[in-house]
Amino acid sequence: MMSTTASHGRVMILPSPSRALQNQQPLIGSDMFRLKQTEPRGSRLVVAATAKYKGTKMREEKLSEMIVEKVKEATEVCEADVRSEECKVAWDEVEEVSQARADLRIKLRLLNQDPLESFCQENPETDECRIYED
Amino acid sequence: MAVSTIYSTQALNSTHFLTSSPSSSSKQVFFYRRQTNRRFNTIITCAAQQTVVIGLAADSGCGKSTFMRRLTSVFGGAAEPPKGGNPDSNTLISDMTTVICLDDYHSLDRTGRKEKGVTALDPRANDFDLMYEQVKALKSGIAVEKPIYNHVTGLLDAPELIQPPKILVIEGLHPMFDERVRDLLDFSIYLDISNEVKFAWKIQRDMAERGHSLESIKASIEARKPDFDAFIDPQKQYADAVIEVLPTQLIPDDNEGKVLRVRLIMKEGVKYFSPVYLFDEGSTISWIPCGRKLTCSYPGIKFNYQPDSYFDNEVSVVEMDGQFDRLDELIYVESHLSNLSTKFYGEVTQQMLKHADFPGSNNGTGLFQTIVGLKIRDLYEQLIANKANAPTEASKA
Repeated sequence: MMSTTASHGRVMILPSPSRALQNQQPLIGSDMFRLKQTEPRGSRLVVAATAKYKGTKMREEKLSEMIVEKVKEATEVCEADVRSEECKVAWDEVEEVSQARADLRIKLRLLNQDPLESFCQENPETDECRIYED
Repeated sequence: MAVSTIYSTQALNSTHFLTSSPSSSSKQVFFYRRQTNRRFNTIITCAAQQTVVIGLAADSGCGKSTFMRRLTSVFGGAAEPPKGGNPDSNTLISDMTTVICLDDYHSLDRTGRKEKGVTALDPRANDFDLMYEQVKALKSGIAVEKPIYNHVTGLLDAPELIQPPKILVIEGLHPMFDERVRDLLDFSIYLDISNEVKFAWKIQRDMAERGHSLESIKASIEARKPDFDAFIDPQKQYADAVIEVLPTQLIPDDNEGKVLRVRLIMKEGVKYFSPVYLFDEGSTISWIPCGRKLTCSYPGIKFNYQPDSYFDNEVSVVEMDGQFDRLDELIYVESHLSNLSTKFYGEVTQQMLKHADFPGSNNGTGLFQTIVGLKIRDLYEQLIANKANAPTEASKA
């Protein structure tokens, strides 16, 4: 009944999705809910939440790097005056990028949607749309 | 003599619009004008769309993917980004609803904000005139070219075409900030996360990132707090429904933010919106469902219901503290709540199960988000039925 568009060809059988995600996601519902949700007839399959396209993988890495940079920047800027405008703006940027990173993770993990999916259907030959191989 | 008739009123009043077939036709009102002095009948049609506009205010811009998905899911169909457009678009489109991220109305991009020394929370970083114009246009059934704010690059990208949907949701930091935009909203929601829970959630969100530490997460929240308190927080007084998320009172000194106390604060007297209640409307109830008929695991579930006053408004508050551990707990609770606007017994539970993997599925956040979604559906149906029944004026040649 749930319409998951499995946007990646790779399927992994994870022993316990909640534990795998525990470090990076708020605690998700109880086992009862999860079993009801993901069990089709027969085996229990969980689609791995990784980027399908190279472009998305690059975006993920870029965002993570930006977080490192901007946290460093904000820490330096705020050393001078923690109440200054520059300090506020610097931490706001950190928040913006952190949220963007988290949004991408949610899309891939919970929703199984690679944001480049529809673009790559139209333009499969671009570098961004190469299938990402681990 | 010009005669105008309203056609297909039945379709507007139909109750089968929840079928999630992607090819379901859009409901439109057609006006026919017949000129009897001519040799033939001239039929002029125009479609008048009734777009219902919902505002959702929350911190962290448009990161409310899960709330949005719950909301749009009530109407059937999955909400997806526009196909073939900018992959960094913040817009979500489903059969009935379009969700617009208000960050798209930033007047200053990341560089611009840095130069001017303003955060994204500051109204000076946002173009309220454009927001008002475009929401007004969409509400009147006119498509708009809406800018796109790219959260990855921090730039304003080329605009995307947005068609007027049946239900328009505008979500972001400032849906109720500008009075003109506020007046366009048919219903508004404010997601009010307490500081402790915000901190716990941001830790869960960011700790895995190598750039972050407890200190950086804390510093970021504190640096943004003055602007947040000045510009965002005051909007909650205008909201028709506030979902307040607080730390649990069931576990002493719990600071993990995993068990939550969630309050659904509903304004009284809002047109087409009848607040949810427990047992006896307008009374004060304290209810622990766990006991002889229902066994719950620690820390259990506790409900409260009472009339109250919120920023000089009369409100009703339903509150849930604790967690659902089993399906039968959820169904049991649902069967004791009233005015849920469900179409069948167990609809809330079914909706919660649909998104069992989403955060909040086992507590009040998921429960109240789902209930708000049903309330919005109810409001939408009433609004449409009301407009269809209203007498129409023939437009004369």
